[in-house]
Amino acid sequence: MTTLLQQIANGLVLGATIGLIALGYTMVYGIIQLINFAHGEVFMVGAFGGLAVYRWVLPESVRGDWYISLPAMLVGGVVVAVVIAVLMERFAYRPLRNAPRLAPLITALGVSVALQEAIRLWFPNADAAQPFPRVFIDAQVRLGDVSIPASGLLLIVVSVILAVLLQTYISRSRMGRAMRATSQDRDTARLMGVNPDRVIVLTFVLGATLAGIAGVLYGSFITNVDNSIGFQNGIFAFTAAVLGGIGSLRGAVIGAFIIGLIKSLGGQYMPGGTQYDYVWIFVVLILVLVFRPQGLFGEAERVRA
Amino acid sequence: MTALLEVDDLSVAYGAIEAVRSVSFVVEEGQIVCLIGANGAGKTTTLRTISGLLRPRAGDIRFDGKSIAKEPAHVILSRGVAHSPEGRRVFARMSVEENLLLGAYTRKDEAGVRTDMNRVYELFPVLGERKQQKAGLFSGGEQQMLAIGRAMMSKPRLLMLDEPSMGLSPIMTQLIFDTIKELQQQGTTILLVEQNALAALALSDRGYVVDLGQTTLEGPGHDLLADERVRAAYLGQ
Amino acid sequence: MSRFTGLIPLALVRPFNALGGLLLLVAAMLPWATFLLNDGPFPEKSTLQYFDAPFELTGFRWHLLVFGVVALVTTFVPLRGKDRVLRALGWGGLVIGLVCGYFIAENGGGFGAITAADGASAFGSVVAVLGGLLLILGSMAKPLDEIPEWPTSLFGLTGMAARLEAYAYLIVAFAGVLWLVTQTLTAGGIGGAAFPYAGPIFLAFLGFAGGLLGALHGIGLTRWVSHLSEKHRAFSIIVLLACAFLLPFPFTGAGSQYWMQVAAVIGVYAATAIGLNIVVGLAGLLDLGYVAFMGIGAFVAANLSGAVASQVGLDLPFPVAALIAAVIAGIFGAIVGSPTLRVRGDYLAIVTLAFGEIFTRAAQNNIGELTGGASAIPGVPQVTMFGTAFNEKITLFGAELPSGVLYYFMIVLVVGAIMAVFANLKNSRMGRAWIAIREDEDAARAMGIRTGKAKILAFLVGAMLAGLAGAIFVHKLGTASYDSFKFLESVTLLAAVILGGMGTIPGAVLGASLLFVLPEKLREFDDFRLFFFGLALVFIMRFRPQGLVPDRHRRAELAGETAEGKPIETEEEQAVLEHEERGHAGPSAPKEDRA
Repeated sequence: MTTLLQQIANGLVLGATIGLIALGYTMVYGIIQLINFAHGEVFMVGAFGGLAVYRWVLPESVRGDWYISLPAMLVGGVVVAVVIAVLMERFAYRPLRNAPRLAPLITALGVSVALQEAIRLWFPNADAAQPFPRVFIDAQVRLGDVSIPASGLLLIVVSVILAVLLQTYISRSRMGRAMRATSQDRDTARLMGVNPDRVIVLTFVLGATLAGIAGVLYGSFITNVDNSIGFQNGIFAFTAAVLGGIGSLRGAVIGAFIIGLIKSLGGQYMPGGTQYDYVWIFVVLILVLVFRPQGLFGEAERVRA
Repeated sequence: MTALLEVDDLSVAYGAIEAVRSVSFVVEEGQIVCLIGANGAGKTTTLRTISGLLRPRAGDIRFDGKSIAKEPAHVILSRGVAHSPEGRRVFARMSVEENLLLGAYTRKDEAGVRTDMNRVYELFPVLGERKQQKAGLFSGGEQQMLAIGRAMMSKPRLLMLDEPSMGLSPIMTQLIFDTIKELQQQGTTILLVEQNALAALALSDRGYVVDLGQTTLEGPGHDLLADERVRAAYLGQ
Repeated sequence: MSRFTGLIPLALVRPFNALGGLLLLVAAMLPWATFLLNDGPFPEKSTLQYFDAPFELTGFRWHLLVFGVVALVTTFVPLRGKDRVLRALGWGGLVIGLVCGYFIAENGGGFGAITAADGASAFGSVVAVLGGLLLILGSMAKPLDEIPEWPTSLFGLTGMAARLEAYAYLIVAFAGVLWLVTQTLTAGGIGGAAFPYAGPIFLAFLGFAGGLLGALHGIGLTRWVSHLSEKHRAFSIIVLLACAFLLPFPFTGAGSQYWMQVAAVIGVYAATAIGLNIVVGLAGLLDLGYVAFMGIGAFVAANLSGAVASQVGLDLPFPVAALIAAVIAGIFGAIVGSPTLRVRGDYLAIVTLAFGEIFTRAAQNNIGELTGGASAIPGVPQVTMFGTAFNEKITLFGAELPSGVLYYFMIVLVVGAIMAVFANLKNSRMGRAWIAIREDEDAARAMGIRTGKAKILAFLVGAMLAGLAGAIFVHKLGTASYDSFKFLESVTLLAAVILGGMGTIPGAVLGASLLFVLPEKLREFDDFRLFFFGLALVFIMRFRPQGLVPDRHRRAELAGETAEGKPIETEEEQAVLEHEERGHAGPSAPKEDRA
């Protein structure tokens, strides 16, 4: 029983991480119908951005104070993630907006590989995993027999809060309305005076902000990062977005928690153990695509893109 | 009277296919002007080019004396040209109110937006009664009202309506045309594209016949109604 | 290019071209480095100390001289398509100048090494770059000429005589191809510590080869040859095979064990790339886990061929093992492809990616004791037929051929067979169905094409080819390790197909060759390989989505051109978006070709 609860806790932490990434996937897909493969790498560079701030910006004396170092690293991670995301939208995706579907997808793949390699080549020592400071309170929170690191709990809380904020922003604000209009009918949105380019950039910025935050918090949770964390978690996040129904924010978050649970429980209870844990995620992905391609919360028309 | 919109020898192409060859017309301030013509004559393309969705290959479009031929759509809208597109194109998954708010997307005066929204609700009470419902649930005629109301929300000086009567019942069509007249009386200039040439010409101060991408005939609405060629070609008489 | 049209006035075209040609010619005769490079004199006698006679030219300087003379002549003679020729020569000269100049500057102490320092001057690379730029600028004055069409028979012959005439041309053309291939393979020699200049020499040679092919394309020669070879397909295939068989013979200079090794590996990847091209290029289904099928083929073959480490304990002859490997890979292909029945392309890409990851993970964990896990399956025996192991040296027609040549021969045959299959498939009912699906799946379905069946078949055929290639690969290598079949290999293969040109056979072969030869030549850049592949994908999609060898039988689907008979909505959409994009480019030029 304790094992089960412990694995559920682990799954929720993972789910929170990939939920933040999945929101970016689902928003971009909703607006320009692009699977932005490189979004996982945005998460990864976010983590490295936070690490860079810790190493080269924060003075030794304040590194121990989490209420100084954590916000500073979050800012660093978010800035790096947003800059990368905006650059890739502007120079890689925007010129292809009227190209056939395969073209931006291949471009996204190229951006993803290039970013992974760029970090490995030029971030000092990043050809091997880098230790990431546990900036948040280094303690275990005990709930009955289950213990979660405080940094894991922080991930869950932040992820839920950000998801709610994002949902509110998109459903209430003027720009949120413009985003939804653009995703439903871009031409008509233009007739309303919406500038689609601005909306698309905003979408990338929002997605990158969440991914950057996720990157830093994730790094401080697992305490080491390498250039492949984006690829793996990115695939999980995409799977979550599909599971939840791509284009649906709520779906992405719920899908992410489900994926997190599948991975931790599958690794514990299914044959093959943790060596095969992510096989189960892909099995779920394939089952969803075959039997309910619109996902749990998606609308049927969306999937036929 | 001054010319609000001047379209001068406009030509537009989709790739190699020239949809509009040579369209020229003038819309005077305060008038209702209609473009009539057969399917595929280039009327819709003309409107889409004026509103900035398409780019002209040649020719010029001047609004209030200044060229808007090279401006992007959102700039043209903010100059005061609103376009209610063919097929209504309401945002089906948003509420009536959200649709109207999007129509006022470029406006900053919140109080004014409220006032204008209430004006739309007065004009189309059915919208006011169901303002929180998703637009996709409405009937074709109701969606057309929403589309017109949405276009009005930007407080345009020129309102372009593409096939407002398409697919509507005769009663509904009459209602829409009455509304158009009323909008004119309130001071909005209107450019109308219609296949229902009879009703459109009867309503219009001036009409233009577009044929194979060219404006071929023009004149006051009633004169065109009486023109033999127009009667033969478009009125089935 | 059209964006730059009119950049320079028409009156300047001829002076630009003449000066450009002249500069290339001069560059060939100038010294290129003021210093003696650390690793010895830069080749082709371009280092100052070794610069004894300006007319004693070799290597890239000889190429530049040829380019310069041709450019000068072309400038002043009337020739259809001359602006394309000059542009290609310009790019060639530019690449040669940049590559050598960069390398000398990098190794010889900075900018001074390629300009003037210590009283010595060596402006060769600068002059070459200038000349190249002038030629390229000259081609931007007006839209490029049409590529001229050549008559099938140059002498107006008909019947048998015309056929023989065409055969003669084809033999000459393919001999030219053979020459270019051997030159390319051996250009710069073996890279790495053995010869530090291999990289720049090879790249400079690519500049030459590219400029040469571009110029030939500009006057319509390549198009004409491909037209001829299509008309006489059987003969072309025979000549092509004959040329391929001649490659290992000593007179070509590529007949060493090392080059056979390289050529055989390229062949394996070329075969795989053709298979991937069926899935991606023809049917338009993006497969990101393709290399897994190659891996399945490899592990199956390893286990069936009596590898020492195998737990299966079977020892089947190679053809049987290879066939089974292909079939099993094909079955997996059909299974992986089956979600396509329900979902569209980009979702499928993720499914295939997931499959590839599952395969790697399973192989890494030695699933079912079949893959050896981290220790791989070593000791896969050599293919042996007719009492000869394939890694032995053989003597043929009195010439001693290097070891590994039999693998090379086998791979040539397999690639030839796969090419034939691909060409036939492409023109078959099924091929047309695939292309229809790629262009517009809804329309294809509406026309009665059973899209599900067609898509699964594409996966099946593609996976079988990969499985077969995997079986050969593992015998050649002697080891089957999961490490050879990871995601990044799939990316490399995809890059090869896209670089070469989606949907074309020469494209897939060319792309695979380039992407697998380059790392051999540029060992010092090996660390940057994947970074550049990633960037290459981005840039190709942006600037040349149709690849190096575009498929001219169809509109290049990625070039975004308009096909006849497409529904107007799509075109309208295109025009709209085009406008949107132009809206940012400032004042808009009249619409014209954007390709």
